[in-house]
Amino acid sequence: MDAVITGLSAGFAVAFQPFNLSLVLIGCFAGTLIGALPGIGPINGVAILLPIAYGLGLPPESALILLAGIYYGAEYGGRISSILLNVPGDAGAVMTTLDGNPLAKRGEAGRALSLSAVASFFGGTFAVVLMSLSGPALASYAVTFSPSDYVALMVFAFASLASLVGSNSVKTLLAAVMGLMLASIGIDANTGVARYTFGIPDILAGIDFLVVVIGLFGMAELIHLVEQQVTGKLKPLALDKSFVSMKDLAFTKWTILRGSVIGFFIGILPGTGASVASAVAYGTEKRVAPNSENFGKGDIRGLAAPESANNAAAGGAMVPMLTLGIPGSGTTAILLGALLLFNVTPGPLMFEQRPEIAWGLIASMYIGNVALLVINLPLVGLFARLLTIPQQYLTPLIAVLAFIGVYSVVSNPHDLYMITLLGVFGWILRKLDFSLAPVILGFVLGGLFEDNLRRALSISGGDWSILVHSGNAIMLYVLAVVVVVVPIWLGRRKKKAAEA
Amino acid sequence: MADRVFAGAILVIALLYTYIAFTVIKAPFQYDPLGPESWPKLLGIVASLCAIYLIVRPDVERLKADLGTLGRLAVVVVMLLAYGRLFEPLGFLVSTWVFCTAFGIMLGATPLKAFAFGAVTGTVGYFACTRLLELNLPAGLLNHIL
Repeated sequence: MDAVITGLSAGFAVAFQPFNLSLVLIGCFAGTLIGALPGIGPINGVAILLPIAYGLGLPPESALILLAGIYYGAEYGGRISSILLNVPGDAGAVMTTLDGNPLAKRGEAGRALSLSAVASFFGGTFAVVLMSLSGPALASYAVTFSPSDYVALMVFAFASLASLVGSNSVKTLLAAVMGLMLASIGIDANTGVARYTFGIPDILAGIDFLVVVIGLFGMAELIHLVEQQVTGKLKPLALDKSFVSMKDLAFTKWTILRGSVIGFFIGILPGTGASVASAVAYGTEKRVAPNSENFGKGDIRGLAAPESANNAAAGGAMVPMLTLGIPGSGTTAILLGALLLFNVTPGPLMFEQRPEIAWGLIASMYIGNVALLVINLPLVGLFARLLTIPQQYLTPLIAVLAFIGVYSVVSNPHDLYMITLLGVFGWILRKLDFSLAPVILGFVLGGLFEDNLRRALSISGGDWSILVHSGNAIMLYVLAVVVVVVPIWLGRRKKKAAEA
Repeated sequence: MADRVFAGAILVIALLYTYIAFTVIKAPFQYDPLGPESWPKLLGIVASLCAIYLIVRPDVERLKADLGTLGRLAVVVVMLLAYGRLFEPLGFLVSTWVFCTAFGIMLGATPLKAFAFGAVTGTVGYFACTRLLELNLPAGLLNHIL
């Protein structure tokens, strides 16, 4: 507990520095803006702005504070286009449309937006509080992990990824392996042997992380937006003067709490971010709430549950990233890659060695959540007006931002072709129902996975049984089996129940 | 069918990847039991197995895009490649101006509005990035003026 208090006070000292404080506010504001734009979600926003944040030459804690602000700001803003346009920014906001849009259609858009802002605030803050309480403990436990334990942790991470993300487990697994394969390109650090470089000097140091991220999450999204561009204009519903009442809040308080708990714990699971969390929270709420027949027709509980859950999941996903170096979602995988760009190795030692980053980030999230609530209640009209920005101007801007980012950091004109080609590849993957987040998770974790496996076998002198030698590792393998088997079992049971 | 074609392509790549892992990658001196080749071998085999599974049991029938849309997307990709090609020689300001104008028109903006939009994006973007944020962008054609 003492460690938490000293850590937090040091963190607030970092986050309250005027420069960092302004970055929190800029990040939250920009994030809400990006989230509010139809069709663009947190992962795209962070991906497109990452190289620019890197190019600015900020110290690592400031850059991370900015990017994290964009991340949870966009989770916040995503509800605006979901409610007013019925167009979710990303998979995590899909559930918000189910009850949010009917409310707006009924002329209660103001009530829906303000209630979801409060639910988001609660979910986000709940997650940060749990993060500050559990982070140091988890980190000091993880310090004891041996390389073979880390291998088990990775196996668990990829198992829960394959089991919970996407519609087809084999496709998710293949996507993750493609990421791992991409990461294996370049010179092997242990032996100096070049792998899959085919004599091309540009990729000796490996494929640039920024190029992969911008290609898969910036350019692929842009191609997708052009494809989706509807000939008829999207017309946002009008914003009215209705507002959330104390009665609404009292009515939804347990819903919000349940959503936050579900969101946080699903967020912690590697690879499963806001999309799974909000879906599970919505489903649970529908099952446990009394008089749930109005779900899907504008029940405020159906709005509060996914909104508290997806913001709690955004916080929850940060926990394994900061304490174990294993990202909990696609977006945190990008944040993890950002830390690596700054030569900071995320993991259990970060709380001790780089407390200004770990605690500074956590403290900034407390501030950011309050700031978001304050920005979102009065300024929601401004963000709503953004929805009327025509796509023909918005879409080119994404390309321009992506090009600025890649060029200003990498300064290699070939990479400008590379991002376009990766964008086409990402678009094809999406068309074929592959999720893109596992690719980036695999890409970010590839080096760590291989290093730990090789280190473990060096320790044992080539004896593979070392992988199942410790209690930690065995527990993680059991968890990996559970996370794969339980959803299959639940699915079977549901099917049987439906047939009976 | 679309799934099968894609999985087939991935299978070819994965097999090639595995083949290289088994034949080409070798350390001159083995430092650790696994060496640089074992990990790629493992990945290649897993990827090949996944691809074979998808060839046997595909679940996406068609790409669900009509020819008109695909044509538009091809035009976008060509425009992006051209933007990348001209980025350095023309400089950020001019290439962005041209790109935004063309892209805007393609997406349905009136030529005049798209032209104005391109001008604003190119000019404001250039000065905001180079002067305010101190990012590196090519000056290109306007090297002597800017």
